[in-house]
Amino acid sequence: MGPKLAEKKRKSRESDSESDDELANGLSDGVLSLSEDEGDYSPSDDDDESGSEATEESEGEDENEVEDKDDILSDDVPSDVDGKAEIDKLVAQQGELEITEPGVDPRRKEEEEGEGENYRIEKDANGGIRYVYDEIDPVYDSDDTDAQVPVNTIGNIPLSFYDSYPHIGYDINGKKIMRPATGDALQSLLDSIEVPEGWTGLTDINTGNPLNLSQEELELVRRVQMGLIPDDLEDPYPDTVEYFTSIEEKMPLSSAPEPKRRFVPSKNEAKQIMKLVRAIREGRILPYKPPEEREREEEEKEEVHFDLWQDEEPQPPNPMHIPAPKLPPPGYDLSYNPPEEYLPTKEEKEEWENADPEDREKDYLPQKYDALRKVPAWGNLVKERFERCMDLYLAPRVRKNRLNIDPNSLLPKLPSPSELKPFPTVVQTIFRGHEGRVRSVAIDPTGVALATGGDDGTVRVWELLTGREVWSAKLSSDESVSTVRWRPTKDSFILAAAAGEDIFLMVPTHASVTPALYQASRDVLAAGFGYATNGQQQVAPTGKEPPAKWARPGTKLEDEGVLLRITVRSTVSVISWHRRGDHFTTVSPAGQRSSVAIHTLSKHLTQIPFRKHSGIAQTAAFHPLRPQLFVATQRTIRCYDLQKLELVKVLQPGAKWISSCDIHPGGDNLIVGSYDKRLLWHDLDLSSRPHKTMRFHGAAVRQVRYHKGGLPLFADASDDGSLQIFHGKVPNDHLEPPTIVPVKMLKGHRVVNKLGVLDVDWHPHHPWCVSAGADGTARLWM
Amino acid sequence: MAGKIKKKGQAGQARNYMTRTQAVKKLQLSLPDFRKLCIWKGIYPREPRSRKKVSKSATPSTTFYYTKDIQYLLHEPLLQKFREQKVLEKKISRALGRGDVSDAARLERNAARPDKTGRPRYTLNHVVRERYPTFTDALRDLDDCLSMLFLFANLPSTTAVPAKMIARCERLCLEFQHYLIVSHSLRKSFLSIKGIYYQANIQGEDILWLVPYKFNQRIVGDIDFRIMGTFVEFYMTVLGFVNYRLYTSIGLKYPPRFDQLKDDQGAELGAFSLEVVNPEAKGETKAITNGEAEQGPDPNVQAEVNKVVQQLRLESNEAAAAEDSLAQREVQGEEAPSDALDKFEPVAPGGDVLPQPSYSNTDPSQLFSNFTFYLSRETPRQPLEFILRAFGCKRIGWDSVLGEGAYTHDESDPSITHQIVDRPVIRAAMSEGGDGEDNQTTQKLGPNQRYPGRIYVQPQWVWDSINDEELKSPELYAPGASLPPHLSPFVKPTNGQYDPTRPLEEQQTEGEALDAELEDANGEDQDGEESEVENDMDVASEDEDEGEDEFGGFSGAEEDEAEEEEEEEEEEEEEEDGSEDVEESAARQRQRELEAEISGKPVPRKADAKAQAKLQAKKALLRKQRQEAEELERAKGMLSKKKRKLFEQMQYSNNKRSAEDMKLRAKRRKLEKELAKKA
Repeated sequence: MGPKLAEKKRKSRESDSESDDELANGLSDGVLSLSEDEGDYSPSDDDDESGSEATEESEGEDENEVEDKDDILSDDVPSDVDGKAEIDKLVAQQGELEITEPGVDPRRKEEEEGEGENYRIEKDANGGIRYVYDEIDPVYDSDDTDAQVPVNTIGNIPLSFYDSYPHIGYDINGKKIMRPATGDALQSLLDSIEVPEGWTGLTDINTGNPLNLSQEELELVRRVQMGLIPDDLEDPYPDTVEYFTSIEEKMPLSSAPEPKRRFVPSKNEAKQIMKLVRAIREGRILPYKPPEEREREEEEKEEVHFDLWQDEEPQPPNPMHIPAPKLPPPGYDLSYNPPEEYLPTKEEKEEWENADPEDREKDYLPQKYDALRKVPAWGNLVKERFERCMDLYLAPRVRKNRLNIDPNSLLPKLPSPSELKPFPTVVQTIFRGHEGRVRSVAIDPTGVALATGGDDGTVRVWELLTGREVWSAKLSSDESVSTVRWRPTKDSFILAAAAGEDIFLMVPTHASVTPALYQASRDVLAAGFGYATNGQQQVAPTGKEPPAKWARPGTKLEDEGVLLRITVRSTVSVISWHRRGDHFTTVSPAGQRSSVAIHTLSKHLTQIPFRKHSGIAQTAAFHPLRPQLFVATQRTIRCYDLQKLELVKVLQPGAKWISSCDIHPGGDNLIVGSYDKRLLWHDLDLSSRPHKTMRFHGAAVRQVRYHKGGLPLFADASDDGSLQIFHGKVPNDHLEPPTIVPVKMLKGHRVVNKLGVLDVDWHPHHPWCVSAGADGTARLWM
Repeated sequence: MAGKIKKKGQAGQARNYMTRTQAVKKLQLSLPDFRKLCIWKGIYPREPRSRKKVSKSATPSTTFYYTKDIQYLLHEPLLQKFREQKVLEKKISRALGRGDVSDAARLERNAARPDKTGRPRYTLNHVVRERYPTFTDALRDLDDCLSMLFLFANLPSTTAVPAKMIARCERLCLEFQHYLIVSHSLRKSFLSIKGIYYQANIQGEDILWLVPYKFNQRIVGDIDFRIMGTFVEFYMTVLGFVNYRLYTSIGLKYPPRFDQLKDDQGAELGAFSLEVVNPEAKGETKAITNGEAEQGPDPNVQAEVNKVVQQLRLESNEAAAAEDSLAQREVQGEEAPSDALDKFEPVAPGGDVLPQPSYSNTDPSQLFSNFTFYLSRETPRQPLEFILRAFGCKRIGWDSVLGEGAYTHDESDPSITHQIVDRPVIRAAMSEGGDGEDNQTTQKLGPNQRYPGRIYVQPQWVWDSINDEELKSPELYAPGASLPPHLSPFVKPTNGQYDPTRPLEEQQTEGEALDAELEDANGEDQDGEESEVENDMDVASEDEDEGEDEFGGFSGAEEDEAEEEEEEEEEEEEEEDGSEDVEESAARQRQRELEAEISGKPVPRKADAKAQAKLQAKKALLRKQRQEAEELERAKGMLSKKKRKLFEQMQYSNNKRSAEDMKLRAKRRKLEKELAKKA
């Protein structure tokens, strides 16, 4: 221990200013070590370097021992860093008297300086005056404290040894130290009542006295219990103690050569610098500028303008691109000072204001200001602009071809009214006489006589122009005459009429009928009798019932001119003559298989050409030129070739229930009337579907009829009490469509029991037509 | 063997269209970014022919885009910028989420520094070029651009509309106006209630835009300024390039020099000074001058101008004015416009006459070139300054409250020839003799003080003059006078449409004219003898009843036989209308005479006969109309259903227009009548 201390001292002497820390440490070390082994210390008093070294060398073992002790000490000291100060205090209390070593140095210095003062003046390193005070020598009297009263004289033995004695140990004078009085229970109670200062109720183990604790001690106990640092005066985080000075030394402490890295430039740093240099050169790092200035500069950079269209090339417009439509230019009513007539009236203003903004046609009301300075700001301008923006980017664009044409050009080129003439317009004659409905009308081929048949079972013949009844015959008492038809040749004057199941052929008397013609007509009817009997004889053996019976109607009727009666199996509704007048066909819708029959006048022969029908036959007609027969069922019209006996074509007019049909004299067109209020025009060459559908009637169409005498007219009769006259011109060129023009509605017939006009017929060469009405009249229109 | 069953939405129309959701998904953008991209690139939704065929889902989609359009967007470089921006935003939001405010602030700060971690910088130059392959294309689409920028130049700055944007809009607009002034391209202008419309013709393209009045704009309803801002961003780029091209095309440097100080003082147009590109050819700078630099108010010229003005005032016929303007030109020694068409007169007969576009011998762009204007402080300075300059005026002064840049702030400057005022005339001063002619001779004091030797007009005079390309007579526009209506110069008169400039008689239909006359007659009668009028009216109503009966007869189907026969008779009557009517009227006249005799009143012969004739005419007209209507019905019956519908649609719009016109004519007739009554 000794030599080490000496070494330290030497060091302190060598250096001008030794660190205080080291000194203090050394001091404390010394103090500690002295306190432990006082005996060892004295020889080190006059030790010099060599001596100490010698002792070190010679007394190796001794030194070892010492070092051992030192080690223990050194172990002890740092381990108790926290309580170091306390320990120092304790040590100071216990061993101050014996400590002499620290005083050695100053005493020696005093001798050297030879001065009696307690300080000396030295020159410090800078040449200034420095007062050096002597160390305080803690001699015996220097700092006397009262000797403490020994509290325990019994030594380290348990107190229980003195239980049987009135005293506990002896004092320094050999007198018994009396045990402190322990009172009886009352006394102790009294004691407890008068709680003295610091009373705890505990007994000191050492003295047996009641253990009183001061406030500080109590606090200490509490802190220990709480697990806190016991002494609250203690700073748990003291300032760091600097072991090395922060002041730079003039001379290095170490003489080791400086490492190379200190003076060779760093490659890494060079690399970093080069990186920066490169960044600066490339403009990635810019010299600092205040942010506002930088922003401004950048904006200017953005706003650089150049000729964007320097090398422009017109491109063909993309067909898919639809440019945004421009806003319409402002009109007169948007002016701040519009003409007066553009200003809204009070009603218009109210209407505009009450309307929902979306429903308004214009988004402004015209207003008039008499001076420009009075015009206010337009409040909706921003909104309108915004809406325009929305339209520009959100509204789907569609290219709409606005038809900027005169709507009238869409209308078909109709022939002028003068071209369409003549057509019937007014009632010329009203034929009254029938009781009940007039079922059917027909004008004879010469155009002088009109035949009518009605519900009263009579057939009447009238003078066409005057309306005078010239002939009549009652064919049936209970059945109505459903249809009357003239034989279409001019060499005879024969009328066919159907009443119930019977078909009558008659030759009415009329002023225009010459006796020769009359006779010829009778001959025509009579010619077949001989033949018919032969025929019947041939037919009879087959055992089948003949399709029709040809017979004379009886003398009464024969006298009136009714010469022939044909009886078929069921009620006949339609008679249609062949153009030559030898054949006619009848249709009886209820007749099922035999509903369509063809009668041959010259042979008195009746044939039933079809065994099957796809529906109920409604009407039938011969083709005007070819040997073909058209049979209309409810839905379809079939055309049969009578020579080859085969189906030629099927027409589908699309009507629900066909009432009637007629064939154009040219043979290529057909009109169909239907109970579902339609009139249909078929072009036979084009399609099986109708060419035109006309729906001008409010009720069923009962009869349709072409003009057969060369005028381009056709008419239909309807249950709404009207006739409609159409101009229907069939061009000679087959490729051109027929021109159909409605020309006239003839109204006059009354509607009786929802029946209006039941039949219509054209005059053979004049533009006149005759209609049969349910009101019991027939009318001639011209 | 049956063909492969085709899946829905795999071919045909369905492949050509894409809903918006699909498009956004495909581009991997957010909806606002997609919107931005669509606005800039000019991609708009399409309406497919059949929505059902196109939509692949059951729910009805609203917006469809062409698939090709979206594919085209896929290659857009801006797309990458959007994504980078998104990354930056994510970084900032993540930093904020971690509570790392300083990091967020750093990223935010760096937003302006793309070299660090900041927001990507982008320009729309390439987009402009793509959308407008040629300069003409850009000009064609300039309408919306200008309207938008002029609006934004007048908006107050908010957070959504930064002041910087407004300033830039204003600058671009003023630069554009400068071009129009220099090139004299402004053609028309119109004062509407919404703002002022301008029309310019640049390189053959008509451009029409709307500039709001200088008031604080009210912002109503929900307006998304982000959308508007996107548009404005694009439009600013477009107008910048357009301005550059326009300036360079007339040899000016772009951008023009901008004087911040002057602009702060409210000089507006005057804050810019135009520079010529190659200074050797022309003067160094061609600042917008007020004339003093070039010639100054030369007393000779001034006298001449005054003389001309005097003449203009005195002689109102056009020929004189034309001569004057020619004289003016000679006096000024200006170069005659060499690019004008020459008139080709046939020398020898026999050649064809070739039509030439007509041109007036006055150059409208120099309409105001000889005048010095002074704007009173209540007039709108900006539009007036712009229009006057665009039409050749060099010297414009105004009150100093209107801002910097005036030729003079002194109202009493002797060189002023025209003063534009918009203030009412004080009554007391009027009584002294406020005639338009008088302001030349009589010196007045007080509020209506006027300087002799100058013309006082209201602002509308300027607009009407430029629209008609001739100086309007200033008397009509004198202060305090009730102005003639200001008409839109953009309405092209089409045939058959109502035109307020033409007299009513030329435009009204026959029926209307007759109606009006009848009313007139009735009115006169009412003024005269009341009993007669009643009688007359009775007759008239009877007649009308008859007419209506006839009319009904055509359609009525359920009449009795008897009735019908009557009708037939009537029809027959109608046929020989002419002779019968005369007889009838004679009979009525006689009847009236008898009645008058009984009541002891004079017989109104003449007027009655006239009214009768008119009634007849009206009846004839009605009959004719009825026939026409019947004819039309007949023809319509022959049309197919589809065509009939189309026809009716067309008819509808035509009828609507004609009904509107009729209403206007009726109003005008009423007004004219009132006026006549007053007079």
